[in-house]
Amino acid sequence: MASVVSRHARPQVLSTPVVRQLVQRNSYIAVPLALLVAAFIANAIVQPQFLSQQSWAASMAVLCPTVLTAMAVTLPILSGNGGIDLSVGPLAGFITVLIAAVLVPAGITSQAIIPIVIVFGLLSGAINGALIAYVRLPAIIATLGMYLFYQGLGTEVLPEAGGSVPVWLVKLDGSYGPIPAVWVVFAVIAVVWLLLTRGSYPRNLLSVGGDERAAYTAGVNVNRLRVVTYSFGGALAAIAGLMLTGLIQGGDGTVGPPYTISALTAVALGGISLAGGRGGLLGGALGGAVLFLIQELLTDAKVSVYQVSVINGIVLILALALNGTVEYLRRKSATAKQGQG
Amino acid sequence: MTTVDVASRLDVQDLSRSFGETKALRSATLRVAPGEIHSLAGENGSGKSTLIKILSGVLRPDRGTLTWEGDVKQHLSSPASAQAMGISTVFQETLFAPEMTVRDNIFLGTDRLFRYGRRKGAELDTARQAMTDLGLDGLDRDRPMWMLSLAERQLVTIVRAIVRPWRLLILDESTSALDAQQRDRLFDYLRLARSQGKSVLFTSHRMDEVLGLADRITVLRQGTTVATMAVGEASRRGILGHMSGRAEGASMYSADTADIVSAAPPPRLEADRQAAGQPAATAHAPVAPTPVLRTPVLQTQQLTLRPSSRPISLEVRAGEILGLAGLEGQGQVEFVECLSGLRKPVSGELAVLGANGAAHPVRHYSGANRLGIRYVPRDRRHEGLFGPLSVFDNFAVTLWADFNRFGVLRRQQARKRFADFAESSRLVSASPARAISTLSGGNQQKVLLGRWIAMRPRVLVVNDPLRGVDANTKEELYGLFRRLAADGVAIIYLSTEITELLTLTDQIAVFHEGSVVAMLPSETSSDTDVVAAMFGDEHPGGTQRVGADG
Repeated sequence: MASVVSRHARPQVLSTPVVRQLVQRNSYIAVPLALLVAAFIANAIVQPQFLSQQSWAASMAVLCPTVLTAMAVTLPILSGNGGIDLSVGPLAGFITVLIAAVLVPAGITSQAIIPIVIVFGLLSGAINGALIAYVRLPAIIATLGMYLFYQGLGTEVLPEAGGSVPVWLVKLDGSYGPIPAVWVVFAVIAVVWLLLTRGSYPRNLLSVGGDERAAYTAGVNVNRLRVVTYSFGGALAAIAGLMLTGLIQGGDGTVGPPYTISALTAVALGGISLAGGRGGLLGGALGGAVLFLIQELLTDAKVSVYQVSVINGIVLILALALNGTVEYLRRKSATAKQGQG
Repeated sequence: MTTVDVASRLDVQDLSRSFGETKALRSATLRVAPGEIHSLAGENGSGKSTLIKILSGVLRPDRGTLTWEGDVKQHLSSPASAQAMGISTVFQETLFAPEMTVRDNIFLGTDRLFRYGRRKGAELDTARQAMTDLGLDGLDRDRPMWMLSLAERQLVTIVRAIVRPWRLLILDESTSALDAQQRDRLFDYLRLARSQGKSVLFTSHRMDEVLGLADRITVLRQGTTVATMAVGEASRRGILGHMSGRAEGASMYSADTADIVSAAPPPRLEADRQAAGQPAATAHAPVAPTPVLRTPVLQTQQLTLRPSSRPISLEVRAGEILGLAGLEGQGQVEFVECLSGLRKPVSGELAVLGANGAAHPVRHYSGANRLGIRYVPRDRRHEGLFGPLSVFDNFAVTLWADFNRFGVLRRQQARKRFADFAESSRLVSASPARAISTLSGGNQQKVLLGRWIAMRPRVLVVNDPLRGVDANTKEELYGLFRRLAADGVAIIYLSTEITELLTLTDQIAVFHEGSVVAMLPSETSSDTDVVAAMFGDEHPGGTQRVGADG
């Protein structure tokens, strides 16, 4: 009398291992991707000039630091155990000062600035990582210390915004023919990350984020992984600072700190749990882009800065609730399937 | 591959380790030979886990030496270096990265931080072979770990240990979640490895496992090695005596083989008396001889656990201990979850019967609680305990409603209740202010049981309550369950140990493929009967079919 109904009949294509694994691993981006598409369409409708090439290059330039700092804070969060990096914003801000008030006056105006800045970011992240992994400070405290340090140091070195910036750096915010230069930056980062994804680093990162003790007892060098992860984050934040320097065409010690808050908002919008162990760099990037597009939309509608903040808060909470619902449904359907099998 | 011909693979001398004031290990010695399966026995808190953590590179000793294949060492610097030497460990706690796939969890830690490229075929073959050896060949390797059952997760952590090139495999209570069939496969694998000259060191609270598998046994008590003996010279009683230090010298070196072979369960006088409807008089606490009316308190009608399984109709009476048995994943866990309102059955009725016989259906967890059903979960750490809180807070968490006046908690009164309970039940000996996470597994379980018992349950549902609990604590808790039953509490007792079920319960419901295939009276059944039923056999003697009624 009991009729057995298969409630989980799925299209055939979803059951091939490769596709299933891809979907399973990346299901966290479903919500941010939907948000991104929605925000994009809304922008295209409201402001028709949004799709024009000129506007693209300029928009991408403004969006770039938001997305990069969001990616920078994603990596420490993925490593779990309260991992976070609050210093990404002030570090990016300090980089503008470093370039405009230290490197350029010292006569370094060539592209040598790029490696110098990246190494600076790597070292800064390594200090964060070492404080957390070896000195065993809570990440939120250690990186708050670095936040205050860079915030103070930036305004100390350059009390008034200004300084000079090499022309090639300003051009990074323009475009090479039809291609916005920013795309090249993202493409380089994407290639590096994809190379890493083919190796063992992301697996180790997510395992440590999932259960640190499991990873440690299985032989993963958890401390070294933490230092490396915060270093990568620092490097991404430094690249954000580089792009920011070109954008504001000078150095400014006060420009950085707000990026920490926007980065954390972006990570949450990007479907990445603060508990770690699940997600990827793409989530942070998508979240940053969504955040930026919403701001574009509101700026065009002549909404005041304060109202933008109110709306950001509402969007953030809604996105988190949606993520939670999607996650709940995912677990529920998986458990039900298992119960049948 | 260098095969060093050594008399002993691992030689531990004079190893000590303290945690603050507590001396977990004081000059322990241990010698494991090549081609031997060695059991490390001892009660909870005897230092087994500390010793194992030192041997696997997680902890460093304060004093003492480790000699590995002739190489003297002060300590192992990390789990990775222990593995590089050939020591592979499966820890008591099933450790895994929940969002990662089975495959990634198996290879966890075998890659360096930045290894590039795909895994080699040989590596994948080893993993496939290891999974087949343990009966996991049907498992989807791309499935994330959190979707697996407790037993599958434990097996995956064992696979993770054996895919590495090991010469000493350490298993710390690694069979606790496995069913009989899975355990047998693991043991076959270990015996095969032994014949290849590899060594195994394992701990288990199941004495028949120790006697059935080990060649030699080393017993630890309070951090010191008290005896090492060949299994042929040891008896169940002798080992228990060494562990507790109570029965000094009781037949420990006499070849008491009969005892080993028969592995007789302890006399079940208590249970017999109860079955006859009389209250039990335990050695600890004589219970007032008021006869308990054995009225039905819980009943299921046509309860269907899975879409395709047969419905279950049964009745549990006050003062009855109903055992639940079955191989892993045959529906017994779903059944207790339905009883406690944590899961909705596919169809059917489940009701608590009031004093006047009125049926009150169980719909959800808080409803089940109001009706007097108390559920003690299996996974202590995740489903039961508040790790950082004190023993007292863990005990009192369910009681605050009783001590709440206009929103103000009357802690003094609650403390008194705790003190009374601790004294009368002899369950909790630890200071109430200690963090519960510092207690041994057995003592944690006592507090957890105490929490629910103090709420005066009508039906107590326990899910494998004595998992990872030492032998003497087990005896104490058996006594407690019997006293509760004598007081009229109906107990639903899910266990993976058949001997335990036969000793403690009145009847055993055996689950197979989502329904009850047999109701066995414990008194007249043997473990063969239970095992036969577990495998779905229709046993002619003493078996009543239930749940198949129209």
